[in-house]
Parts: sequence; C-alpha cells; structure tokens
Amino acid sequence: GVFAHLELLEAQAYKAAVKQEESEQQKEKLAGLRARVQELRLQRDDLRAKLDLQQKGQLGKEGVVSDPAQPSPRAVVEWKIKNLMSMLQVFYLTGISGKLTKRGVCFCISTAYEGTYLDSYHLDLLTKPEVQIYRHSLPVFIPLQQIAKKYLQTDIRRFLAVLSDHLNAYVGRRYQADQLQEHFSEQIEGTLQRNSLCNLLVFNYNVSSTSKTFPFHARLLYRDLCCSLPTEVDVSCASDAPAALAEMAAAHVGLFRRMALHKAFSSFSSAGESMD
Amino acid sequence: MDDSNCQIYEDEIQSLEEEIKLLTEKYEDKQQESTFFSDEEILMSIKSLQEEFQGESKGHESPLDLKAQLESLETDLSFLMKFTGIQFRSHSKKTVERTGNRTVQKHRLSGNCHSLSFQLEFHLLEMQSAESVSAVVTDLHIVMASAEDSDITKFVSRAEERGSLLTFFRSLSTYAEWYEHRRRTFLHFK
Repeated sequence: GVFAHLELLEAQAYKAAVKQEESEQQKEKLAGLRARVQELRLQRDDLRAKLDLQQKGQLGKEGVVSDPAQPSPRAVVEWKIKNLMSMLQVFYLTGISGKLTKRGVCFCISTAYEGTYLDSYHLDLLTKPEVQIYRHSLPVFIPLQQIAKKYLQTDIRRFLAVLSDHLNAYVGRRYQADQLQEHFSEQIEGTLQRNSLCNLLVFNYNVSSTSKTFPFHARLLYRDLCCSLPTEVDVSCASDAPAALAEMAAAHVGLFRRMALHKAFSSFSSAGESMD
Repeated sequence: MDDSNCQIYEDEIQSLEEEIKLLTEKYEDKQQESTFFSDEEILMSIKSLQEEFQGESKGHESPLDLKAQLESLETDLSFLMKFTGIQFRSHSKKTVERTGNRTVQKHRLSGNCHSLSFQLEFHLLEMQSAESVSAVVTDLHIVMASAEDSDITKFVSRAEERGSLLTFFRSLSTYAEWYEHRRRTFLHFK
C-alpha cells in the first residue's frame, strides 16, 4: 500500500527529473546554435561590407588599386607567389609546362580537344650524362621509345612536340568516341568497339525517319596516329537496302572523313533525314 | 518542437558557412587581381621577412620557405620561357563568376613566341569534381602583330572558331620556330 505508493511517486519524480534535465540540455543546445548563427551572420555581413568597399574602390579609377592599409611583407611575397603560380597555370594551357628537378626536368604535356582540356602526362627527364627518360606516365600504346630514339638526343623540343601531337590526337579520338557514346547512345546499336589507341572504331548505328529506322555499319581507321580524323572510312547498309540508303551511306563516309565523329552525328541527327 | 528549431538553426549555419566561404574567395580573388607590387617592393619584402625571422616563426610557413618557394617558381618560369620560346609580357585575370564548385575567369595575355607577338583573351571555366578539376576555354580572341601573314591568319581563325587555345600555342610554336630558322638562313645568305 504505502510503500508501493511511495515507490510510484519516486519513479515519477525520477522521470520528471530526467525530463527536466533533457529539456535544459535542449535549451542550452538551442542557445548555443543561436549564438553561432549570430556570430556567422556578423561574419557574413562584415565580408559583404568589405566586398562592397572593394567594389567602390574600383569605381572611377583606371588601372591598378593598391590596398589602402600598408600590406605586410609576408602578404606581398604571398601575392607574388600566387601571381607566379597563375603564370605557370597559363603555361599548362599552352600544352607544355614543367618544373626543374635536382637532376633534370619534369615536363608536363597537357592535352585538349578544342577548348576542353583533358588528360595531362608527365615525363621526368635526366639531363646528365645525357638526356634520358627517368620515368613517365604515358600510356603504353604511345610509341615513346621510337620517338625518343629519333629526337631525344638531338632536339628535345621536337621530341616533345611529336609526343604532344601523338597524345593530343589519341585523346581527341577517345573524346569523340566518348561523346558519341554519351550523346548518341539511342542511335548506337550494341556496343561501340574500339582499341586502346582509339584508332580503330567499329559500330552499328541507326538513322530514323518518320516511323522507320535504317541500320548502318561503320568502320573507321585512323592510320595517322597524329591525326584525330580517320584515314579510312567504311559505311555499309543491308545488301537489299534501297538505293537512297546506299547514297546516304556514301554521304556519311564523307562526313566522317572530314568532321569529328560526334559532330557528324549531330549534323545528320538534327537534319531529320527524309527517306521518302 | 525543439528539434525542428535545432534543424532550422543548423540549416542556417550550413548556408552561412557556405556563403562565407564564397565571399572570402571572392574577396581574396579581387585583392589578388587588383593589386600590383613591383619587383623592388618584392625584394624589399623578402629582405624584411628575413630580418623578421631572427625573431620567431609563428607556425605559418617560415620566411625562408616562402623565399625558397618564390625562387623555385621564378626559376621554373624562366626556364619554361627560354625552352618554349614563349615569353609572356603581361597577364591579367579577373574572376567573373564563382558559385559552388564552378569558377569562370577572364584572362588577358600578351607576349611573343620567338619573334611573333600575340595578344589574346579568353574565358576559362573550371569545375571542381570529387577527383579533379576540369577546364574549358571559351570566347577566345586572338590578335597577332603579323596579321598579314596568311598562314598565321589561317590557324588563328581556326583556333578562335573552336576555342582551341592549346592548338593555337602548339601551331604558333612550330610556326615561329620555322619562321625563325628561315629568317636566320636568309640573313646567312645576305
């Protein structure tokens, strides 16, 4: 009777105390968060004001503005370091950049397809007793040894230029095949077959008009490894296909020969061929 | 009730932190791009940094590290210019857009490759993904000093059309070397 009742009251009091503590912790947490929000808001407003001042400082002044507060020597040197790094980044954009090492030079050959920069490759050269390749990140199917044999000892610039041609052409071919698979997958039947050098592409594709689709088979061979356009193109359709289709196949051969693969597909996809 | 308040505050904290990061980057970009220090000012700063070092280094990079980094960058740059024949006379960049992981900067560049002078400007879009940064050049405009040369106008207009900055420099480099070689051979026979 009485003890049971007391126990019940104790249990209730205990629960109430726990609840009280939880709610106080929650209040503290909320207060902490609120304080943090205030702090960040102040920081953000401060930055906005600084940026605003920066903007105003630019208005009406030609040329260069210097920081009104005298910058510390450290800030000046850090500015110059950032400045030089920008310059080195520009060299990256030109295709050949690098840095001196203890025993030679480490070149970086960058590649691009039109305006899109793609992979870059490193070539670590030793310069004494003679120029040698110490290590590199070139793919194995690039004929590095062949090119090195021809030019490395006599004309390093030419060596790098020829390598750059090979690498840019390879990357360009690969990019076109990737773009084709990415943007025209509904028109490609099955898988696009390619070798590692991406200089042999074989695939089946469809051209649709009104309600019918017409299958084609294409084979592109890029014999010139420094070129990203094919040297030989074969496009065929079914042997019992109408003459108009055969004409279209011939037209596609011309397109693939002179245009990037994904651009060629773009041109005949959007043209909305009429087969009738 | 309280939990949802917590969530609201936490969301605001996250968005404020992102905004602060972006604003800081914008501010620093502008500072970098609108200041200029002459070579003498740089040399003086290096000297005073070295004197400061007699005191202590507070856990930043030591002044000697900064000096070493500066010198290493300068030697690399001077080597590249000599090796490639591409000398940059001036370079300016201006951040035009900075959102999340996307930055667009407008670059203005002038210089020469051997005896051929160029001036160009372009937009560079950089996007940060998990593993890498991608770069795309757009709105490329090129002005060459020797604009009458038809070989040059050919590869210049092709490069502008496609935004092929890299191809432009590779072609320019090859052409300039050939041009230089031809010029020297000519002089030899005079």
